[in-house]
Amino acid sequence: MAAPNSYYDLYRHGSLGVALTDSLDELIGDERIDPQLAMKVLTQFDRVIAETLQEKVKARLTFKGSLDTYRFCDEVWTFLIRNVTFKLDNGAQTIQADKVKIVSCSSKKTEDK
Amino acid sequence: MSNSAVGPIYDSIISEVINSVRVDFEETGVDESALEDLKKLWQSKLSQMNIAQFPWDPKPDPPPAPADANAPAASGAPGAPPSGAASYTQSSLTPQPSAQGLTLPGSMMPASNGVPIKTEAGYSAEPAIKQEPGLTTPMIPAYNPANGARATAAQRAAMALENQFGQRAAASINALQNGMAAPQQQPQQQPQQVDPQQQYRQNLAASMQQRMQQQAPRPPNGLPTSQMDGTGDAAADQEDQPAAAAIPDRAEIDAHLHAQLLARAKEMEGGGLMVPLRKAVKDDRSIARKSGGDGTGQLDGPDEDMDGDEDAINSDLDDPDEAADDDDDDEDEMGHMMLCLYDKVQRVKNKWKCILKDGVLTVNNKEYVFHKATGEYEW
Repeated sequence: MAAPNSYYDLYRHGSLGVALTDSLDELIGDERIDPQLAMKVLTQFDRVIAETLQEKVKARLTFKGSLDTYRFCDEVWTFLIRNVTFKLDNGAQTIQADKVKIVSCSSKKTEDK
Repeated sequence: MSNSAVGPIYDSIISEVINSVRVDFEETGVDESALEDLKKLWQSKLSQMNIAQFPWDPKPDPPPAPADANAPAASGAPGAPPSGAASYTQSSLTPQPSAQGLTLPGSMMPASNGVPIKTEAGYSAEPAIKQEPGLTTPMIPAYNPANGARATAAQRAAMALENQFGQRAAASINALQNGMAAPQQQPQQQPQQVDPQQQYRQNLAASMQQRMQQQAPRPPNGLPTSQMDGTGDAAADQEDQPAAAAIPDRAEIDAHLHAQLLARAKEMEGGGLMVPLRKAVKDDRSIARKSGGDGTGQLDGPDEDMDGDEDAINSDLDDPDEAADDDDDDEDEMGHMMLCLYDKVQRVKNKWKCILKDGVLTVNNKEYVFHKATGEYEW
């Protein structure tokens, strides 16, 4: 197993991560687990979700829009895009959104390890 | 379509995380039931977000996903999945798995049966209930959630026994009401159950009903929040029940009664003094708070650390953005957000092009996962 630090924790901000964090908080609140254990769960989550997205997901998507804000800081790109149109891979489905925030870490780091 | 992929993908992530932290739970000496509860909580929270169709949800038109028996728990609605109907004959032929499935439909918290259920994924809870429709009817008066919420477990057990066995159960009921020690109960229980098979089936139904009554009124997290002793009780229950579920017929019922008697005894004991548990717990709680404040500072410290951690991350990724764009506040909650890795980000004048991968996208309350995404946009 890789060192716990070699995975991003950015996915914790997605719904899966938020649901996990809330659940852990609840268990901590009930004093059924301690926070250290919760942290271990989260680091495992970082690893598992990164690996799973890498290995099991095949879908592709393209999107267009107008860039409202961009930022590159600490190897993290953040975009705020307005009037976005997503096209899912099979082309059959398009999704519209008036604004989407993209938070993106470098893929290099995971490949290096 | 990547939205339909979300369910299975997330399911596999959850299982893998749960499996890989099992060792950590064991090493820390945390009860396995906490792990199961974590999984249940996690799944139900995801279901509440309503971002995709998950394998553990009940489905109107199910894609194959092996009918995960946890389904009713997630939504609280005991819908009858068609796949469950298919397995009806199987479950009625084999009493053992059906007995395990019995508790599920009405219960908010099947955590107690999580382990055995997973191995019997094919057996949906609903048809198992239908198996003996006639037998459940005598119990229905007792199965009133409003009443059940007030009655203690022991009272309910006594009620169920009385309904089921009438006069013959008088001894057991007395035992329950006197809060007798559990071990004495078991020998008494034995003779009754050396009965023909019909009796045994009634027993099953009775124990099933008891459990439903027990579990239905619980809050979703299944535990009286912030009761130190309360959680312990629940954990004990949960330990007993899966074990009981694995062994069919009278052993199961015995174990179940045993658990209830233990709970009753604990309630009577109330921390050694003859104080009702609720009062004792209040005291415990305040003591625990105090000790948490000074003595076991570690318990509190890391908690805050973790919050601090998250804040730190937020401030890295989110906060500046939120400061810049005032209406970003709701993005984490409902919003349109993409979390991913980037391969390449290029810009020519005001045209941007980027290649992203391994991402999770939440748009319009739906979640999508993608392996690769290309975006083009103008600034």
